[in-house]
Amino acid sequence: MNANRIMERGWYWVDEQARRGTLALARRLSRRNFLSRLGLMLTGAAALPLLPVARAFAQETSLREIGDPQTCEYWRYCALSGQLCSCCGGSHRSCPPGAEASPITWVGTCRNPLDDREYLISYNDCCGKSACGRCGCHNTEGDKPVYFNSNSSTVLWCFGVEHTSYHCTVALVLGESSQ
Amino acid sequence: MRLIIFLAGMVFLSGAMAQVLREEISVETMPEHGPNWFIAKSGSGARIFDAESGEMLGLLSLSSRTPAVAPYLPRGEFYAAESYYSRAVHGDRTDIVAIYDYANLSPVAEIEIPNHMARLGVRNHLGLLGNGRHLAVLNMNPGYSVSIVDVVDREFIYEMSTPGCAIILPVAENDFLLVCGDGTLQLSQLDISGFEENRIRSEVFFNVRDDAVFDRTARTGDGWLLITHAGVIHEVSTDDDEIHISEGWSIVAEDESGWRPGGFEFLDVLRASNLLYVAMHEGPVDTHHQAGDEIWVIDLASRRRVHRLKLDDPADHLTLTQETAPKLIVGTQSGSTEIFDALTFRHERTIDGPGVSMYEDF
Repeated sequence: MNANRIMERGWYWVDEQARRGTLALARRLSRRNFLSRLGLMLTGAAALPLLPVARAFAQETSLREIGDPQTCEYWRYCALSGQLCSCCGGSHRSCPPGAEASPITWVGTCRNPLDDREYLISYNDCCGKSACGRCGCHNTEGDKPVYFNSNSSTVLWCFGVEHTSYHCTVALVLGESSQ
Repeated sequence: MRLIIFLAGMVFLSGAMAQVLREEISVETMPEHGPNWFIAKSGSGARIFDAESGEMLGLLSLSSRTPAVAPYLPRGEFYAAESYYSRAVHGDRTDIVAIYDYANLSPVAEIEIPNHMARLGVRNHLGLLGNGRHLAVLNMNPGYSVSIVDVVDREFIYEMSTPGCAIILPVAENDFLLVCGDGTLQLSQLDISGFEENRIRSEVFFNVRDDAVFDRTARTGDGWLLITHAGVIHEVSTDDDEIHISEGWSIVAEDESGWRPGGFEFLDVLRASNLLYVAMHEGPVDTHHQAGDEIWVIDLASRRRVHRLKLDDPADHLTLTQETAPKLIVGTQSGSTEIFDALTFRHERTIDGPGVSMYEDF
């Protein structure tokens, strides 16, 4: 009996603390403020499970690099087949305005001449517009036939986007190939 | 006086005009099919040429994303997988198999298929099976599958999953092989309605990491010829539910190391003579899309090279007309189409046209 009474009092204490806390928050914050913070939190949570490819879009590279991303000789493009977004209003890491970045890619391995290390490069297609038509590039280092599509540069990788027409290609460093 | 000269001129002109018959515009229809015709497919459609005259005979307007076109003369039809957006590059996507008639090269029917078509210019992403009824279209989403269409009844049958396997190689009456990334072949046998009845996997016969089999192939008398990036040949065929794969042998002699096959649709077999024509270049590993400076002709029976055709303009694509007086059709790096006698190798003509992505004997 005493145990039940102790439990009831315990729950009452929890309820009371919650009530007081809620009232205190309600006095300090407007409802709109609460919703905006909740929305911010949910947006942040949605970004948590993104793939390494998607994270790479937002990161600044810390690599020391050499070369011109508007030329096919740029070291990251060793297995790139497509048109360079860096010539089309984007860069080697960003899509041109209004294009959709495909989250699904093919992956190559390229050597950075400045540190002589091999890096995994994700070739993401930018989609939803006409083909850019500038700076065509067709390198085939490590390229495999289309039946092995994860390493095939021939494949158009506009998947997982609303509009699947091909516009151009970027080259993102995922990390060292030995990692 | 001037008035008299003017009136005389008018009378003369009206007399001259009266002698010229007024012309009416007309529309051609396709002539009766002739020897050494071929199809040159580009991004804007498929042009039909006569290799003997060099004349263009007509055009099939295809979607820019069409992988290939399959002619079928017994019914006087062409089959093409096409993909369209309602607003050119965005909007609703619709994938179809379109059927074109022979006489006018015009669309006469279309069948909607799942919007998963692999939209690459690869000849073996489309295959009309031996019975002339079932058309197999490769899908990539990004996993592989195959859509089966009945082109006689004009209906989509179903989409069959083919994980890890692509490149459609029709065999027998209603079967096809696929090349798989694990180094095997898969045989799919369809029933009379077009549904998969049986699926068989071969032994591993190549390693995609060490020396991959190309995704470009050539049809032989009883099956298909596959070639690796290093130039090793495997001939494959089927006997009911058995897959036969020949022992690999190299077309590159030891003292010629450095020569490799390459290009895009860069090989074909003259089936009556069992001769392989393949574009070759000198280069390191991973130059498998480099155009060929030479075309090597290999006698498959004796495994001996019988000719080296040196080219001024390297070859990206080639095909052969399967005729008694066959022609070798070569698509060059600069975009022209060169016609050779396939047996004497005499250059016969150059055909200009928009950049070709593949040829098809027709």
